[in-house]
Amino acid sequence: MIKVKNLHKKFGGLTVLNGIDEHISQGEVVVIIGPSGSGKSTFLRCLNLLEDVTEGEIYVDNELINTPKVNINVVRQKMGMVFQQFNLFPHLTIMDNITLAPVLLKKMSKAEAVKRGQELLERVNLAEKADAYPAQLSGGQKQRVAIARALAMNPEIMLFDEPTSALDPEMVGEVLDVMKDLARSGMTMVIVTHEMGFAREVASRVLFIDQGVVMESGTPQEVFSNPKNDRTKLFLSKVL
Amino acid sequence: MTGISVWFADFSDLFYKCFIKDDRYRLLVSGVGVTIKVSLLAVLIGILIGILVAVSNLSRNKLFKAIGSIYTDVIRGTPSVTQLMVIYFVFFASVNLNKWIIAAIAFGVNSGAYVSEIIRGGILSVDHGQTEAGRSLGLNAFQTMTRIVIPQAVKNIFPALCNEFIVLIKETAIVGYVGLMDIQKAGDFIKSATYEPGMPLFGTAVIYYVLIKILTLTLRQVENHLRKSDAR
Repeated sequence: MIKVKNLHKKFGGLTVLNGIDEHISQGEVVVIIGPSGSGKSTFLRCLNLLEDVTEGEIYVDNELINTPKVNINVVRQKMGMVFQQFNLFPHLTIMDNITLAPVLLKKMSKAEAVKRGQELLERVNLAEKADAYPAQLSGGQKQRVAIARALAMNPEIMLFDEPTSALDPEMVGEVLDVMKDLARSGMTMVIVTHEMGFAREVASRVLFIDQGVVMESGTPQEVFSNPKNDRTKLFLSKVL
Repeated sequence: MTGISVWFADFSDLFYKCFIKDDRYRLLVSGVGVTIKVSLLAVLIGILIGILVAVSNLSRNKLFKAIGSIYTDVIRGTPSVTQLMVIYFVFFASVNLNKWIIAAIAFGVNSGAYVSEIIRGGILSVDHGQTEAGRSLGLNAFQTMTRIVIPQAVKNIFPALCNEFIVLIKETAIVGYVGLMDIQKAGDFIKSATYEPGMPLFGTAVIYYVLIKILTLTLRQVENHLRKSDAR
């Protein structure tokens, strides 16, 4: 589904990603862990080209996407993204946040989009908030709306960039529950997180990224219980 | 007679002499019309130029950027009276257009420089995460700008833009330099005709004050409406 070949990313003279090769298949839930500054968020943001790629190739559904020939807007329509800071549109109601893109991009009529929006809000347990504005919601509620907004485009893949890092501790659970539910439904997901318990429970595969390369990759069992790489061991000893 | 009634008798005499006699109030009324016409058209032109220049300044095109910054620089570095007179007597000297339209263009060109800075600041004040969220959903740059960034920028820009509008109305008090009879010029005219400086000038001041008060209160209503999505 996503194939990454020899991905490099430099910010000026600073090399953040230093040759990543990765293949993410349909239905996989890939959780990316690693110390801060390791490049894990940058890797995720390269997947939908929110960051320009310095070198290397990214294929989505066997189509090379980091080339001017491709209309990236169309590719992004099948890749939902959830941000650490939620990034809800504060000037729009919750329902309008969800329906803006599907209607504007002509994926659905307004009526269909509202119906789908209502279903999605029920799915994230926020059906009664359709007419509220983002400022009236708690952090956990905002993030659940952000997930619903991304799902409204019926994406094939969902990218999560530290979705619980900006939340108060008591709100982390409600967001992780929605994500677990999504994983069980068979959605392909790539998740950057510091929630090791969640990674262990939900991931089909865990990637440990450090210094811009994938240091270790395997099932949660393999990576958490039996890490082979010394850096992985060191990192896990600090966070577990 | 007591002091107050003397003052009042004087006042009503003066008031009669300056505003009622020979229908002089008509000058002021038509002056209000001129001031409003010039200001409204100038504001529209100013916003239009402001948007264009702000977008040029934010674009990656070096030529657009250069034009934008020279324009802003020149307008901010010269007095508006000079700009008005240059535009009226030089650029539009041989153009057959209504005086008030030429004046409005001059004030619009002046205002555009300030408005462009206000708009640029407003667009930059919207968190970059908003743009990323829009783009990640598949919206193109233009859709993201018009549906997500600008609606939020407008809310940030609005108070400064209102202020610019008010400044502009007061700036138009110099249109007498190119022979238009606005509020200020009408007051001036009455002053010369009656040899009474105080009453016509106070009258002028009161008219401007009331105009701007009405505008301020109206714009505040609009602003409150814009803020309805903020935390309550």
